[in-house]
Amino acid sequence: MRKRNSGKDKLITVALHIALAAGLFFAAFPIYWMLSSSFKSNTEIFALPPTILPKAFTLEAYAAILGDPVKLRFFFNSYFVAGAVTVLTVLIALLAAYGFSRFNFRGKGSLNTLIISTQTIPPITLLIPFFGLVVSYGIFDTYVALILTYLVFTLPYAILLMTGYLNTLPRDLDEAVAVDGGTSWTALWRVIVPISLPGIVATSVYTFLLCWNEFLFALTLTKSTSMRTVPIGIQLLMGQHAFEWNQMMAMSVLGSLPLLLIYLVAQRFFLAGMTAGSVK
Amino acid sequence: MAEVILENICKTYGNNFNAIDHLNLSVEDGEFLILVGPSGCGKSTALRMIAGLEDITSGSLRIGGIDVVDMPPKDRDIAMVFQSYALYPHMTVFENIGFSMRLAGKPKAERKKRVDEIAKTLQLTSLLDSKPANLSGGQRQRVAMGRAMVREPAAFLMDEPLSNLDAKLRVQMRAEITSLQKQLGVTTIYVTHDQTEAMTMGDRVAVLKGGVLQQVDTPKRLYESPVNAFVAGFIGSPSMNLFEATLTGDDLISGTFAVRLQDEAFIRRPGLRSYAGRKVVFGIRPEHLYDSSLESGRKYQTIPAKVTSIEELGSEHIVHLNIDAVRVDSGDPDAVEDFGRASNAVAKFEPVSTVRSGSEIQLGLDDVKLHFFDPETHLAI
Repeated sequence: MRKRNSGKDKLITVALHIALAAGLFFAAFPIYWMLSSSFKSNTEIFALPPTILPKAFTLEAYAAILGDPVKLRFFFNSYFVAGAVTVLTVLIALLAAYGFSRFNFRGKGSLNTLIISTQTIPPITLLIPFFGLVVSYGIFDTYVALILTYLVFTLPYAILLMTGYLNTLPRDLDEAVAVDGGTSWTALWRVIVPISLPGIVATSVYTFLLCWNEFLFALTLTKSTSMRTVPIGIQLLMGQHAFEWNQMMAMSVLGSLPLLLIYLVAQRFFLAGMTAGSVK
Repeated sequence: MAEVILENICKTYGNNFNAIDHLNLSVEDGEFLILVGPSGCGKSTALRMIAGLEDITSGSLRIGGIDVVDMPPKDRDIAMVFQSYALYPHMTVFENIGFSMRLAGKPKAERKKRVDEIAKTLQLTSLLDSKPANLSGGQRQRVAMGRAMVREPAAFLMDEPLSNLDAKLRVQMRAEITSLQKQLGVTTIYVTHDQTEAMTMGDRVAVLKGGVLQQVDTPKRLYESPVNAFVAGFIGSPSMNLFEATLTGDDLISGTFAVRLQDEAFIRRPGLRSYAGRKVVFGIRPEHLYDSSLESGRKYQTIPAKVTSIEELGSEHIVHLNIDAVRVDSGDPDAVEDFGRASNAVAKFEPVSTVRSGSEIQLGLDDVKLHFFDPETHLAI
């Protein structure tokens, strides 16, 4: 009886490992393919049968991108827009979340519901209205257009995320500041913000990723090459007559690096409990 | 330093729930007043209203002669120690203690001097660079005290500051806070649900129940002359035994036994005679019940009782008994009821007592120490 059971357990373990390996392959292969293709020449990419490892390892794709000011501008635009939206989102979400978390005011419930309900609207349905608004305000093809539009999409979720985080922080801390001679404003900046780093980092990463990867609105609300962001830049490499696959892949690698770095730097904030020792 | 005066303070929440009902309390300059009561009695709410963390629905509150009802906490010249300590986790002990001075814009040198003084008093000098997460419960508690002391406030407000400490440390900190308060001479209002803290620490104790002040008095007078059955049951550990009986002539009759009351009982309580032939609630503290087989218990009249269980504490035995009488509820929601109804009385015997669980004994009763309450109003007679 026991033997049969252990045999069955072994079978389940093996099956589980095979399933996990298949999952890993499914998830990791595109990344590998992106990396590998970025080090190939464009001719090798079109070779049949395809080469798993680059036969002739080359950095020509990277050189083409990093040496081209137009393509570097895509990176600058992406960094600038995503960075600005992240800073603004965190600031606004923090203030809004502090209000939701710490104060009672008329219409608080309805406002909360309104914020959540904006998440149910598919962004694409807002594309035409936004285009109209942006044109009529005279901000078409500017950073302002992208930043304001992205804020509309990042803020609701960021407010919810930050409110949830602030709700976990003991109110005694705010009250201790009040007794110590501070205002709510003091409590927010001197105590709540420093201990909210995990929440702020989570919100920032979410916001930055959303902006960094955004394609549709960046494509619609900008026109000149100098205003394009990385996702559009990658797409621009698909020419009418030629597909610069190696450059597209190299640009994808360079585009993914900041995200990877952000994750590596930020992950310790997700793990540590910042309020340890505060109460009890 | 200042006196704190509460006049007709009320706190009503949106659903018409009266958390505090016309609270009148006067705390003298330099006095250590304890606010005590069962959970939900409004003691913390009262303290938070004094601190300014909770709005006052109606009434007046004066600290040092100034009406502070509409003042924010920072302008009330008070310092508070929270139950959770509420230390700022990202700041060191030095920064925690000196935070209020920093907000007040005091120069760094002055801050350092003052924080160092306080750290010395509280034996925190070696911990000034530590963060709260690296401190023990007792150390955190002391930092919270230091943070309050640094302000040199008119009054200290403490909200169950010892409830998170283990029993041994609590006893030690109890003594430390009491001696610190005496040393500083700052008016202190201290909230607790622990009646041992209430009895040992304060100059006076205010007992609250359901948002209504029951009695304010010295611990000794609360213990000896409770104004009603609730205070009688709440103050003292274990609680006073309360039973229903009928007063017939000089005898208190309950079930199958009678207790003869001496003239002194009627002289001390002139109203008691008017209860002749009527029901009355009588109370006796566990320490006034005796093992009649011992020398100390021989001189008292006895009633029959059955021992249901014994807790041997070394210095004394807490003996749970069953006597032929109907127990009366003091109205303390936190009181632990014996759901099995196996026992209805508690006595404190000397450790030399040899009574055993299950045995029938004669229980000595010091009738001079009996308390009497009206069966309807539960007010003391």
